[in-house]
Amino acid sequence: MLQLLSSWLRPDHFQSVLKERGGRWFNACLRITGDADLAADAVQEALLRAWRRRDEFHGRAELDTWIHRIALNAAIDLVRKRKPQLHVEIQEDVVANLAIATAAISPESEYAQEALGKDLAHALERLTPNERQAFVLKHLEGWRLEEIATSQHTSVNNAKQTLFRAVRKLRADLHAWQEHA
Amino acid sequence: MISDNDLLLYHYGDGLDAEERERIRIALATQPQLTERLRAIVAELDRMRTPEVTVPADVEQRWQRALELANSERPRSRATPRFQWAAAATACIALLAIVIVNMRETSAPSTPTAQTVPPSTAPRNEHGLQWHLASTEQQLAAIGEASDADRARLVQTVLEQNRLFAAAAERAGDERLARALRAFAPILQNLAEPQAADAAPGDLAQLSFELRVMQARLAADSPAASDPRAVTL
Repeated sequence: MLQLLSSWLRPDHFQSVLKERGGRWFNACLRITGDADLAADAVQEALLRAWRRRDEFHGRAELDTWIHRIALNAAIDLVRKRKPQLHVEIQEDVVANLAIATAAISPESEYAQEALGKDLAHALERLTPNERQAFVLKHLEGWRLEEIATSQHTSVNNAKQTLFRAVRKLRADLHAWQEHA
Repeated sequence: MISDNDLLLYHYGDGLDAEERERIRIALATQPQLTERLRAIVAELDRMRTPEVTVPADVEQRWQRALELANSERPRSRATPRFQWAAAATACIALLAIVIVNMRETSAPSTPTAQTVPPSTAPRNEHGLQWHLASTEQQLAAIGEASDADRARLVQTVLEQNRLFAAAAERAGDERLARALRAFAPILQNLAEPQAADAAPGDLAQLSFELRVMQARLAADSPAASDPRAVTL
């Protein structure tokens, strides 16, 4: 057991988890922040915190889960610090990347897929930061409402209402897109 | 009548009491159109699972360097904690000053824009930053002599001030200065921990690394950024 723990402390193991999971952490934070720089900052903060506490982790899965969660919370904090802007705008290059990635799924309908990719990204953009967080954390990350409420410093009922508003807006946007298409 | 919101909460297995869950479960079992409605809602929302974007190479390198530096600097720590405190405090301030001076030098020529504060307010804001630096220096200089509790309190005060200036920079649209100030927060937080004397060299390495990243970014940026003198509290 001791051997297992000490081998886990090796930096190359830590680095390999970063290589393997860094993209997932980054994308999760990007969905929260809509800003690649903030997402990168959030992941770096989580990584360094995890490094300082590396003796406490007993395996890859635990480290991955821990960093993922801390990075998301860091991302939420960074967005909160930016609150005066109210609506965080998704960067154009991020929108473009999403569109390209979406298009790659179905080459035969490239144009429609690209349009959908942009539309989905812009649908998220139209949400307020809190709505976006509530939706991403609940629907994409599977957090409990209590956890979302805690991270947003609000009540469970408020978090629930915020989630409902986000879902209503997103569905309205998707319906509008489908009618256009 | 079961609302879409209730259906969604049922799908999440969250936010409903046992009675509501049971009512929806029975309804879903007996009404195929309700099951179809739930499936359609979830399918719609699943479309928001947009494909992942690739992490930019420079970001990946930055994370790896941060880990490497944290790893390489941490072991040399235990000899003279008090000396390390003083060194950490001095280096923190020196680096903070370098970052801010560097940002001023690489900023735009003082062409007024709609987002900047009128020039008449600039000296006051500059004084504010200078005061922050001087005050931080003073407070951190005493940190080596402080007890754990006092040290935590001192660092907390510095953190609060730093946060205020970062928020002010955000409000003024000076994202670069805000980011520079925010980069100090985790390192300062570390200094507040009781065992932090051991961690100071690693933190300093991290601080140096963040400074280099910032300098590289500043060099790469166009000089069209906002004027850092526009920071207001």
